[in-house]
Amino acid sequence: MALQCRLSGTTIQSLKMATIPISSSSSRLIFRPLPQSLKLSLFSRHSPPRTPPITLLIRALSAPAVAAAPATEISDNKVVKPQWRAAIDFKWIRDNKEAVAINIKNRNSNANLELVLELYDKMLNLQKEVERFRGERNTVANKMKGKLEPSERQKLIEEGKNLKEGLMTLEEDLIKLRDELQLEAQCIPNMTHPDVPIGGECSSKLRNMVGSRREFDFPIKDHLQIGKELDLFDFDAAAEVSGSKFYYLKNEAVLLEMALVNWTLTEVMKRGFTPLTTPEIVRSSVVEKCGFQPRGENTQVYSIEDSDQCLIGTAEIPVGGIHMDSILSETSLPLKYVAFSHCFRTEAGAAGTATRGLYRVHQFSKVEMFILCRSEDSDMYHEELIKIEEDLFSSLGLHYKTLDMATGDLGAPAYRKIDVEAWMPGLERYGEISSASNCTDYQSRRLGIRYRPSESPLTNSKKGKASLATTKFVHTLNATACAVPRMLVCLLENFQQEDGSVIIPNPLRPFMGGIELISPKSR
Amino acid sequence: MKGKLEPSERQKLIEEGKNLKEGLMTLEEDLIKLRDELQLEAQCIPNMTHPDVPIGGECSSKLRNMVGSRREFDFPIKDHLQIGKELDLFDFDAAAEVSGSKFYYLKNEAVLLEMALVNWTLTEVMKRGFTPLTTPEIVRSSVVEKCGFQPRGENTQVYSIEDSDQCLIGTAEIPVGGIHMDSILSETSLPLKYVAFSHCFRTEAGAAGTATRGLYRVHQFSKVEMFILCRSEDSDMYHEELIKIEEDLFSSLGLHYKTLDMATGDLGAPAYRKIDVEAWMPGLERYGEISSASNCTDYQSRRLGIRYRPSESPLTNSKKGKASLATTKFVHTLNATACAVPRMLVCLLENFQQEDGSVIIPNPLRPFMGGIELISPKSR
Repeated sequence: MALQCRLSGTTIQSLKMATIPISSSSSRLIFRPLPQSLKLSLFSRHSPPRTPPITLLIRALSAPAVAAAPATEISDNKVVKPQWRAAIDFKWIRDNKEAVAINIKNRNSNANLELVLELYDKMLNLQKEVERFRGERNTVANKMKGKLEPSERQKLIEEGKNLKEGLMTLEEDLIKLRDELQLEAQCIPNMTHPDVPIGGECSSKLRNMVGSRREFDFPIKDHLQIGKELDLFDFDAAAEVSGSKFYYLKNEAVLLEMALVNWTLTEVMKRGFTPLTTPEIVRSSVVEKCGFQPRGENTQVYSIEDSDQCLIGTAEIPVGGIHMDSILSETSLPLKYVAFSHCFRTEAGAAGTATRGLYRVHQFSKVEMFILCRSEDSDMYHEELIKIEEDLFSSLGLHYKTLDMATGDLGAPAYRKIDVEAWMPGLERYGEISSASNCTDYQSRRLGIRYRPSESPLTNSKKGKASLATTKFVHTLNATACAVPRMLVCLLENFQQEDGSVIIPNPLRPFMGGIELISPKSR
Repeated sequence: MKGKLEPSERQKLIEEGKNLKEGLMTLEEDLIKLRDELQLEAQCIPNMTHPDVPIGGECSSKLRNMVGSRREFDFPIKDHLQIGKELDLFDFDAAAEVSGSKFYYLKNEAVLLEMALVNWTLTEVMKRGFTPLTTPEIVRSSVVEKCGFQPRGENTQVYSIEDSDQCLIGTAEIPVGGIHMDSILSETSLPLKYVAFSHCFRTEAGAAGTATRGLYRVHQFSKVEMFILCRSEDSDMYHEELIKIEEDLFSSLGLHYKTLDMATGDLGAPAYRKIDVEAWMPGLERYGEISSASNCTDYQSRRLGIRYRPSESPLTNSKKGKASLATTKFVHTLNATACAVPRMLVCLLENFQQEDGSVIIPNPLRPFMGGIELISPKSR
């Protein structure tokens, strides 16, 4: 299930960047003092009024790695260094800037493309400048090897010294520029599949509808009431022990959760997915690399005190992390995982009647599918994941619609996102029960997951280095196979009987000791 | 001062009254502080101890029962880490990168084995009249304290959530104990018997060494826990019942184990008596704790505020309504591990390994994992 992971861009009220003078080239350097503007003003900035993107860690501090989220002023010379770097293709962004700009707009992203392009240009120029200085310093060094008059030697020594200092400054500036460019560029959302409708949630396009709303000939109840009468959950005790939006499952609901998880795992394994259970505590950097913001305002992520660790909101995160910083062989792809985990979400910012009962909770069980594949295969695997979801939900007898979510509703990592909404008669609405996203190379560029194509065009080349150049970023996809609370809502509300009992769908019965019905009992 | 008084007398009384009032205020403040200090100090006092509990350190623990014997192997055996590696059952390395040390992924048959262990255990314990539950794994820290743990002590086992008064549970004992917090139960509703499945999180601060390799000591694991609330006079009996259930479960799986009456130095503050089961783990060449059953008598209930009203009040004929309130008593609470998955995985893998590297699945678990009888090495 996709979280709303909008990476907000930053409008940095930066001071005007000093233009880096491009020296007229000459084979011999005539020393001139460095422009003052280069040294300090380039990177002073007032921090933005809203939460900075991703993690801004001030590396120099020895305090525990707590991300500095507040709007504190970052003084001159204090560099805000990214903790990790996505492998962004800046050149591609520049070469496709119109498409990127339109995409940013369609997704209501706050990324600042103009700033990225500006910084990129500056960086290229600064790089050239650095190289020039290096070249000239080498020239001076070579000259000093020959026989020289003492006065000439002295001049050269001075020149060399000035070049060295100048170079050091330029290199520091280059580092800062790169860091800033990196942080800004990482805000740019993934590109979008051409078929995705443009607009807000209402523009989402119906792809498929299965089944129809059941006609009830008796007054129906919502899942909360059904659960109360069948003694299936306890929200009140949980509110005392833990807080609102927590719950205990009791009696048959426990068996139903087990059955849902077991059955789903079994079905997805049949389709060639490797089953996993995962850590539910992960380093916050991994959360970020997957495209979430652990420390943003209204973050969905719980953090652990005195540590750089967080609780996962979805198994997508620890599964994405398995192959971090690796190069896979093409023959090992696709890698298909089906992972069971508990998930924790703060649900900050979510309120209202659409959050009653099991519909929106802080902790739940989920079975998640995750695929790593070659770039050319991701569209195909996206279809495969959607088909698996639809097969699962159809098997359970649910009535649902499959939607191609519009650009305004995609999280930053998603190239395309397909949601399934099932009919929940007690809530009188369709509610999301699954989400399948193709993240193309957005996550893999951050997690550092590459693959080496089997047939390198340069296999006959004598240069060993060539094979390294041909690695590509995998594409990653994730899809909900079963989000237990939402499924419980669907099953209880759709299969309720007039006498207050609930029929268990056939596929689940063998996984809960053959139980066919949850009936009211005198407890 | 209500009577008729001379002005000078009245004046004296007014002064006296004022002095008394100020004096009283000071005394009352002192009393509050004193009560608070008394409370904090007294809450440190551990539970009393069952008379049969041996006195001393861990080595003084007394053997109650031993079941089975160490299996004789006619081939060189492996520990669970090596078995798991060769059968592609876990990944500790990737988890170390993603989360840190003592985290792990379970893969392939190990996932099915965990599911089977949990399902089978729940089913078996439900047959004995326990109500199944799943619980919140985030709870208020006050509930953790009331159960007898110290969330914010040095070397605490408890993970805390940033910017909140919440913690992660280290055992389902905590959220289950909290269900009936600040309640008065009727005697007829007792005993209340719960079997709860949850994930558990422990910092394991202060634990180091070889006894912590692999699955033996981890930060996160699945556990099925039994919890009983009962009348004070029944807790010894239910303690025996819980121990019997544990022993039945472990015997069914074919494990070799010993049941120990833990000595006073090894009891946590809440426990009146604690019985541990240690199973033989041939790969680790030692007995390792796979379960613990504690009778906490009224230690937790006095903190959680869980009382019961006996059915036959001796004062039923009394005309004073207040009398029935005075007869509430504190329940006794007990908790016992039905299945701690990682430790069970260690036992099953190490005890049932075969020479060819495969592992036999004990019969009771097979129906719960699609009938699989064997985990065999495969070319993956």
